[in-house]
Amino acid sequence: MKNEHDGGQNQDETNGNQASSTDDVWGKVRGKLSEYLSADAFSRWFKNAELVEDDERGPAVIGVKSDMQQIWIETNYLDEVRAAFAEGASIHAQPVITVLGGAVPQPVKQVARGSVSDSDQVRVLKPGEEAPKTVALERKLKRMGINPEFDFDSFVVGDNSQFAHAACSAVASREGRSFNPLFIHGRAGLGKTHLMSAIAQQLLIIDPKAKVVFLTAEQFANEFIEAVRKGNLDVFRKSYRTADIMLVDDIQFIAGKERTQDEFFHTFSALLNTQTQLVLTCDRPAPEIQQLEPRLISRFESGLTVELQPPGFETRVAILQRKMDQWNVDLTDEVIHHIANLIQSNVRRLEGALTRVASFSFLSSETMTIAKVDDLLRDLVRDENSRQITVDSIQKAVCDQYDLSLADMSSRRRPASIAFPRQIAMALSRQLTSHSLVEIGEAFGKRDHGTVIHACKRVEQEIEMNPEVKAVVEKLIAVLQR
Amino acid sequence: MKFQIAKEAFLDGLQQVQHVVSSRTTLPILSNVLIEATESGLRLTTTDLDVGVSGTAEAEVSKTGSTTLPVKRLVNIIRELPAAEIEISVDAKNVASIKSGPSFFKIIGLPDTEFPPLADFQDAKEYTIPQNLLLDGLKKTSYAISTDETRYVLNGIFTSFKEGKLTLVATDGRRLAMVDNELEFPASHETDFIIPTKAVQELQRLLNSDGDLLLRLSDNQVCFEIGSSIIVSKLIEGNYPNYRQVIPSETKERLTVSREALLETVRRVSLLSSEKSNSVKLTFGANELGVAANSPDIGEANESVEVKYSGKEFAIAFNPDFLQAPLRALGDENIHLDLIDEMSPGVLRTEDAFLYVLMPMRVTS
Repeated sequence: MKNEHDGGQNQDETNGNQASSTDDVWGKVRGKLSEYLSADAFSRWFKNAELVEDDERGPAVIGVKSDMQQIWIETNYLDEVRAAFAEGASIHAQPVITVLGGAVPQPVKQVARGSVSDSDQVRVLKPGEEAPKTVALERKLKRMGINPEFDFDSFVVGDNSQFAHAACSAVASREGRSFNPLFIHGRAGLGKTHLMSAIAQQLLIIDPKAKVVFLTAEQFANEFIEAVRKGNLDVFRKSYRTADIMLVDDIQFIAGKERTQDEFFHTFSALLNTQTQLVLTCDRPAPEIQQLEPRLISRFESGLTVELQPPGFETRVAILQRKMDQWNVDLTDEVIHHIANLIQSNVRRLEGALTRVASFSFLSSETMTIAKVDDLLRDLVRDENSRQITVDSIQKAVCDQYDLSLADMSSRRRPASIAFPRQIAMALSRQLTSHSLVEIGEAFGKRDHGTVIHACKRVEQEIEMNPEVKAVVEKLIAVLQR
Repeated sequence: MKFQIAKEAFLDGLQQVQHVVSSRTTLPILSNVLIEATESGLRLTTTDLDVGVSGTAEAEVSKTGSTTLPVKRLVNIIRELPAAEIEISVDAKNVASIKSGPSFFKIIGLPDTEFPPLADFQDAKEYTIPQNLLLDGLKKTSYAISTDETRYVLNGIFTSFKEGKLTLVATDGRRLAMVDNELEFPASHETDFIIPTKAVQELQRLLNSDGDLLLRLSDNQVCFEIGSSIIVSKLIEGNYPNYRQVIPSETKERLTVSREALLETVRRVSLLSSEKSNSVKLTFGANELGVAANSPDIGEANESVEVKYSGKEFAIAFNPDFLQAPLRALGDENIHLDLIDEMSPGVLRTEDAFLYVLMPMRVTS
């Protein structure tokens, strides 16, 4: 390491000049690392490493001096580094190892800006002081996995979302202490994640030091599994239970995962006990999440539950107009209204439709007509309509699968070759449509609702016992939902 | 073009070059072998644009010329032919007629002008290397080459001609294999470069245990002349990381063990290392090495090996595959295992200039 002597000296000087916060964090992380690693490994790989501050790749970016250091740390010590960040500095992020010096792909602009402090490598990595705050915030948000565009201003409020919006802004401004936990549910593409991101963003604007934990339930489950595997559960727990606010997206994901639910329950209770704000989103109301422990359901419902409905016509038009302003495109009211009429269920798809129409009109410089729009959005519209699964479509799909005639679905005949497919169709109707047991029984040749219940149970059992049946049912569901 | 050739000779020649041809190429010409018939015989050449291989086959050429034919198909046909003698003629449209005994095949080729020429090595630096030295070095290092394409500089063997030594290094970030050999070359030829995996594989196929080979090096290509065969390869661009940084400078304990005994023990015991942890635990005691593996839902195995060891008692875990790879490639009777502690890499050495650094696995107790 003799040849790096010069670099090393510079290092120490700059470390001394830097804000003490970095020193603290890195000092703590280093401390933890030296505990985890052998003395030889620590001095060989981490002695001259340093924390890179304000890097867009995340809060846990470590700068090293050589390629080999990067390669060796990445393949062998990433777990230790992650744990050291979590335990030493409560930073939860994927560590990034980068090579400092000549080959660093850092923006050249910053070199110019930092030129006051001669050509010191470390200075180069520091962002310019005069950089607007929003840039730093945006970077921070991206690092946390939050889309900076998702704030309260960009959310179009309509009748469908007024209540949810109000509840969220109350939580964000810390007025709504009693709204804990805040449970936001609604179908895909209606803005759940948008509202939740807005809360996180608002909080960070008010208090940049706030410890905001923002993650999807899937991330939670994965990190939990990882922690179990590594046997460092206490690190995992500590990292969540010290949060100022915890926002968990798509909580339905933990359904059926018992240990994860258990762990989540304890985290959840610990946070509630310390009056830490929790925000959850889900694609359905809490009691409808299948395979979720009742105690979790009741916890979820203990605070405020808000629902996001599909937007009404006026709101859809407003959303489209806002997007048009944002993208600086111009379409006639007629076209906009038409798009809003075609796509009703999902804001994401609505935006997708607008993107398609706008980019087509931009690229072809043709005037948009209703017919043209219909043509462009044909597949989206078909999709939109086919989302409605009916008992008829289920019966037809099952008949196709088992080569039966539609009449068999409602006939009185009961050979196994007909009865079982009929039971599958009933079970699917129960699962995929909102019809009641009685209505389903009616549709299958005026059968009793008990027959439908029996069919559901029977199919459930068969699915468990018989992988072939499971495969067939999964295939049918896929076909129906396409 | 027209020639007569013995089936075995043709097949040997084709098999030497056919491995370079990938089964899914974008350019049809790259599935073909270039066949050049001259008075002295046939020259067969294939390439995938990164690596090219060329070899010769003896043949009685009655009409000189050249063409390209799909190599996989050609090999399959030649292999199945009933007679020992084959007559091949190619017309101006690159259609080849293959006659052998009672059978007759016609296959359609592509013009030789489409075939990408192998690089030119004028003014290149030249090195003469004993074939067995390079073959042995490649064998002892190539298993450690990284297959991770995101770290492309590690997808090859680092080859260094420095200070009168030829050094070969391969690493994948978990282990590193290195062979050092003295070699004579002009001091002005000191250099280093990275030979890609594919060229290494071809080299291992073509190298023999006796004779020399000629290595020629241009800016970004390397050429190996082995007898009448030639391998031309692009080099991996970029700087190989400083591998010396990985090698522990001081080790505390040294254990000496019979290579074969250790290999067999590890192989047996690893049958019960679980897929998840995939490790074997080595426990060092006085003149005894215990090798153990266990997986909670399957069972466990342990075995002891006689060794020469007088250091402190401790245990370390390694990936059994990574431990076996060098043991298999080496030919020495005994090997040394140098260690620091259970968290630091182990270093496997032989009496020759071979060295293998292996990271331990974490054992969760």
